[in-house]
Amino acid sequence: MATQGLAPPIAVARTRPAWLETFAGQALALLASFAIALVAGSLLIIAYGENPIDVYTSILDASLGSADGIGYVLAIATPLIFSALAVSVCFKGGMFNIGVEGQYLVAMITAAVAELNLDFLPGPLLIPAVLIAAMLGGMIWAAVPGVLKVRTGAHEVVTTIMMNGIAVSLVGWALNGPLHYNDAPEGAFVDLRSNVFPPEGLAGDLGAKFGVTPGAHLSWLLFLAIVAAIVVWFLIRRTRLGYEARAVGSSPGSAKAGGVSIGSTQLRLFLISGALAGLVGMHLILADRGYLPLNYVVGLGFTGIAVAFLGQNNPIGIIFAAILWGILSRGEVALQISSQVPREFIIILQGLLILTVVITYQIAKRRLAARQLQRAGLAGELEDSAAPEESSGPRGPEDTGAEALEPGKRI
Amino acid sequence: MPFTDIAVAIQISFTYFTIIYLTGLGGLFSERSGIVNIGLEGLMIVGTVTGAFGVRFFTDTVGLGSVWGPLLGLLFGALCGAIFASIHAVATITFRVDHIVSGVVINLIAIGLARFLSYAFFNGQSTQSDPGGPHLARLDVPGLSSLPGGLDRAFEGLSPMVVVAALMVIPVWYSLYRTRWGLRLRSCGENPEATRSLGVSVPQYRYQGVLLSGAFAGLSGAFLAAEVIGNWREGQTLGLGFIALAALILSNWNPIRLMFFAWLFGFAVAIPLRLNDAPVISLLPEQFIRMIPYVVTIVAIAGFVGRVRPPAAAGRAYEGGGGS
Repeated sequence: MATQGLAPPIAVARTRPAWLETFAGQALALLASFAIALVAGSLLIIAYGENPIDVYTSILDASLGSADGIGYVLAIATPLIFSALAVSVCFKGGMFNIGVEGQYLVAMITAAVAELNLDFLPGPLLIPAVLIAAMLGGMIWAAVPGVLKVRTGAHEVVTTIMMNGIAVSLVGWALNGPLHYNDAPEGAFVDLRSNVFPPEGLAGDLGAKFGVTPGAHLSWLLFLAIVAAIVVWFLIRRTRLGYEARAVGSSPGSAKAGGVSIGSTQLRLFLISGALAGLVGMHLILADRGYLPLNYVVGLGFTGIAVAFLGQNNPIGIIFAAILWGILSRGEVALQISSQVPREFIIILQGLLILTVVITYQIAKRRLAARQLQRAGLAGELEDSAAPEESSGPRGPEDTGAEALEPGKRI
Repeated sequence: MPFTDIAVAIQISFTYFTIIYLTGLGGLFSERSGIVNIGLEGLMIVGTVTGAFGVRFFTDTVGLGSVWGPLLGLLFGALCGAIFASIHAVATITFRVDHIVSGVVINLIAIGLARFLSYAFFNGQSTQSDPGGPHLARLDVPGLSSLPGGLDRAFEGLSPMVVVAALMVIPVWYSLYRTRWGLRLRSCGENPEATRSLGVSVPQYRYQGVLLSGAFAGLSGAFLAAEVIGNWREGQTLGLGFIALAALILSNWNPIRLMFFAWLFGFAVAIPLRLNDAPVISLLPEQFIRMIPYVVTIVAIAGFVGRVRPPAAAGRAYEGGGGS
């Protein structure tokens, strides 16, 4: 073994940076999971008596084959980016915000209140005021499970789900009471909704500049979503709170020993997550409808969890994952028009993708950890000055497991 | 307000007790074996769609009559729940994915899978089936259904499954606390390393626990769709799987105490359905009455969670033996 230690291959392996290896491992895991999901999907397509290549091509053609298609894909991706970012911020601190759904419903109420009561403001002031109102609404709704978790140890998975149920009824109450429309012409049949927002308070159509149909409702909120992703990346990677969040998420015990206040960190993460969640509904009311409709189950909060897993909780990965999700969702149109395969196939494909991503990512993570441990041991034997291994890659699901060890603090 | 309304609310609470208790028992088996299962809601969803299909299939298509048809349909829902739960088992036990991540994935997939199955089962209808499916003959509880003053209504016209669920406490308690199997299952949830040192296969017992949780949650979902509502509709589980999880936590993972909390939450669910004219409650807007079950759950969880002790190893990946 001693002669091997001097041989070039090991020396090369040792100097390869850890982040590159982590990145390569994750990319491989992602590719493997795509392949598995596509193959499993192909089997299903064959069962319907169709050619998988034709079906997949028609999905891609419907979503990426035209400017309109791309516009639709990006419009679908816009709220999903906010939603997945909200989920991932909590995830970094070892928590699950399943309440994005309720948080954006409440945020739509507060945003609608701002739109209808601040309409004296000029557009450049009104829109920021509305967005701030939405973020505050989301924060208020996220604060309840956040405070309960920190104060009583009530697990956020149960409390956030219950807050979702309450939010659904709250929207119904607001639209029947304080926000009930009164701008409809006498005798006209109008679905339950709020009054129409002032035009200068809406997110203008962006699609016209790129030849995209106004029906896609593409708006500059997409750029806001991308900016939000960059801000979240900066927050997690380059700030003290981000460092503390990652410490709490990966090892609460060590974080506490290191002087981090777990409760305060988790509460702040929950509030940031709620603020991001508040922006999820803005696409619906500012770019699409122009008023607050009666809530229907759109499930953007839950889809956001899927997108966050798919993007492996990396803010930049989330942008691509949301676009991928949009491509698949838009593909439903193709199936509806020209195939025996029901459009529900897309949902199955998305589900398969999530499942395989979660499992392959876990396998890759364990392999990488084992290899890095081995190399750290080897490096320590050969050379004392070897740089300590630091797992600087995006945090994965298992990091949150440690929290479950504390009795009374888990499900 | 008349006693009849209270009695009917109690009768409805028995129905929701059944749903919450059966699902809670599912969670009990899984978590006692050491696998946290927040996918109960998803398992129930699969139970609703397959159960609604099963009762129609066995009663009308196969023609087994009004007793065996619905019964086999409910069991079909339980079977499909167990099959679906095997995904959670493989992910958490074999691949050691974080239990909560896997549970969230189960809930996500279930919604799509239910639509897909519904499309296949119910002639292309992807969000609901035709109403008025077959169900078991309604039962009047002997003795209690002749109470005076309108209270008899509480014990009339119940599904036989309510009684089955209530009696389920006996075999569940016995199997967990008085058999070798139950001792081993519980020890897998408390100290898997020690359990393994005694020659017990931890993954095997955990698989059994998770599959049982799928069967119970699936049965509960099938009961909801086939016996309570009469057809499948998207979103009909209404978060009851999570309410069951809350009841399980408050019961301190005990099947007997779980009965009480399942009934308590069942009653909270019944309030907006029947008691919205009651004093005090009638002062609230209708939408606020509908929040009651969720508020009760949050308050109960926040108030009690520090006083319960979960199985020590639940939620922790077990490294020894089995898996990759």
